Amino acid sequence: MPVIVMASPKGGVGKSTCAVLLASEFARMGVDVTVLDCDPNKSLTRWASHGVPTGVTLKSEIGRSEIVPTIRSADGDGKIVIVDLEGVASQLVSRAISQADLVIVPMQPTALDAEIGSEALALVREEEEALGRSIRHAVVLTKTSAAVKSRVQKELEGQLSGAGIDVIEPSLVARAAFSELFAYGGDLTAMMNDPEMVTGGKVDKALINAQAFTEAVYERLK
Amino acid sequence: MSGSNRLAGLKARPKDTTVEEVRRVDEVGEARGFLDRTPRKKPGRKPSPRTWQLHPKVFPRVGEAIAAEAERLGITQGQLIELLWEKYEASN
Repeated sequence: MPVIVMASPKGGVGKSTCAVLLASEFARMGVDVTVLDCDPNKSLTRWASHGVPTGVTLKSEIGRSEIVPTIRSADGDGKIVIVDLEGVASQLVSRAISQADLVIVPMQPTALDAEIGSEALALVREEEEALGRSIRHAVVLTKTSAAVKSRVQKELEGQLSGAGIDVIEPSLVARAAFSELFAYGGDLTAMMNDPEMVTGGKVDKALINAQAFTEAVYERLK
Repeated sequence: MSGSNRLAGLKARPKDTTVEEVRRVDEVGEARGFLDRTPRKKPGRKPSPRTWQLHPKVFPRVGEAIAAEAERLGITQGQLIELLWEKYEASN
């Protein structure tokens, strides 16, 4: 089954959040998900330390020399592999991209994120050329405003589309529940059903956003 | 989305992972600044947990015999003394 790689040489763009949302939503749909935490900050390992949803398996501390064999061993029938990478330009990133069925480049709607994120997009294209096969890739805008689409976001979407880059709709809105997942572990459904979990935002809206995002990713894996 | 049936149809595309392909991927990455950033390990020997030092004076023939036996066994003189001590404790 497919390998989904979260890549951007910039830190703090939402790679780990995307990975957690996709892992928990795909698992909720009944498929086994293996998540590889390749980020030295160990965001996913911290999330998993509070409990992982049923169907999700986490593997951590995967370095440059282990990434290809680990993806190969985790990949199999009835499994989705999600790779969360470090926010730096490293060979670990380039090797993981070579094994991807879909590379997702999360980007906040800022000029800096777009500039640094474009390095990952350029790398994917160069790897496609070197390997002689296509590697599907798409950008997802993260931490966007729930109320209005900013002028910068509109411009960025226009520039990405103009350059022929696939932009995943919907974007991931800035929701407190997304960041609180790392404090509570588990998934948004559990968060919504547990009255002891206190969040500063609307979990139901966050869940709808995560589900729509997962559906859009699923469409790109078919 | 509902059920796993839809997901059962998802397939991974076959990907070669030969040494040659990984080398090409590394080259492409390096040209774009995606370098090997694996943290370097501290050079040199790891510190030994054997930090307690003895200063026994023994006859030269005993010292030479202990050194030769440790060398024959491929262990340090300290490890040999630890083995001797184990046997001594076991015998009492």
